[in-house]
Amino acid sequence: MNNKLLYFLIFLLPYCAWAQTREMTANERASFQKSLQKLVEIKTISADFVQYKHLSFMKKPVESSGKLYLEHPDKLSWAYTAPFQYKMVFKDSKIFIDDQGKKQTIDIGNNKQFEKISTLVSSSMRGGQYDEKEFAVSYLKRGEADMVRLTPKLAGAKKYIKEIVLLFSPANKYVEEVKLVEPSNDYTRFVIKNRKVNATIDDSIFNL
Amino acid sequence: MIRFLICSFFLLVFFVSCGTYQYPNASGIRESAPKELNNYYIDTAQTFVYRAKLDAFKKHINGSLLVKTLARNEHRVALISDFGQTLFDVTISPSEHKLHYTMHDLNKRMVVKEIVNIFRTMTEQRHATSAVMFANQQHYYPVYVVDNCYYVVKERRVERIQQVKRAKEHLTILYGEWSEEDIPTRIVAEHKKFPLTIDLTLDVDQSTF
Repeated sequence: MNNKLLYFLIFLLPYCAWAQTREMTANERASFQKSLQKLVEIKTISADFVQYKHLSFMKKPVESSGKLYLEHPDKLSWAYTAPFQYKMVFKDSKIFIDDQGKKQTIDIGNNKQFEKISTLVSSSMRGGQYDEKEFAVSYLKRGEADMVRLTPKLAGAKKYIKEIVLLFSPANKYVEEVKLVEPSNDYTRFVIKNRKVNATIDDSIFNL
Repeated sequence: MIRFLICSFFLLVFFVSCGTYQYPNASGIRESAPKELNNYYIDTAQTFVYRAKLDAFKKHINGSLLVKTLARNEHRVALISDFGQTLFDVTISPSEHKLHYTMHDLNKRMVVKEIVNIFRTMTEQRHATSAVMFANQQHYYPVYVVDNCYYVVKERRVERIQQVKRAKEHLTILYGEWSEEDIPTRIVAEHKKFPLTIDLTLDVDQSTF
């Protein structure tokens, strides 16, 4: 019985090593931050995303997918294509929504919350600086991949988000995954795929 | 005189609020053979994911409603927005509920109470021993009565639940379409007291049954 348990643990070892997360050393952090600076040169990004919503009582996550387009400095299109159609465009201090043909516009000129979301998505994708007044920022390593953990400092944000974890590709330092953890520990994971950087994005993408 | 008027007013209010609800075209209530109602969510191996469209107090929210049967008449129900944010997550049984999480803005006693009532009515299996009598039986589907709920049965399936409170309709749950396995694929819950409608369509690909 003990041998069986030992074999089982040995079998698990490589997975534990892969999943191990540690703080970056000072050198690693400096090198990571330097590599992020290159991303600031990004003008446009287009990519596919898959969203996985994990709840503790569900065996498999609820999945949805879509496309995102980002054009520096202030245009963002976030569109779900499966299993439903829903498109949101952040542009000119407004959110334009197309909910299966039902369109509406929300003025976010005075809505700091939406402005923060848009800025956070933009800066995450383009490797911008994180607002250390709003978040406690931890720089981590998971295997070869770099990770940044943002923990909200402000009471208002803490009610909705426990932490945001960004996972960067070891190869090119692009964000590969974003994980939003709720106060209940349920979380939503966004996986970014098929990224195209600095390709021309048709203006119609940002028009609704 | 003023004291008499005040007393009369309160007595009037009292008697009005104690009035009994009369089901449309009903001539009375009769005893019926025991009948199991609302057997849609009794299998613990099943998990249902519904596409949810919620209209509440002039606000519109799209998302997914997750329903998992934990035991006979114990259900875990969670509503998540399209962006993945959990709006509420609650375990509901006939006499109590356990709130696992609710978004800060929804965490109000009245809101939670109504949410629990809607999803308890929708998921709870009931046993009826009473039914509504109609003057002309041939023109009406059987309507069973359990406590303050009326269950309209069409082709051996519950098609509608009408919940009554203080002699007025409080909530209607309409099961519109079913899968071959008799799983409701389209449900509309309409609150009669508050401007609240929940429209649910089963996402077959993400459900397990």
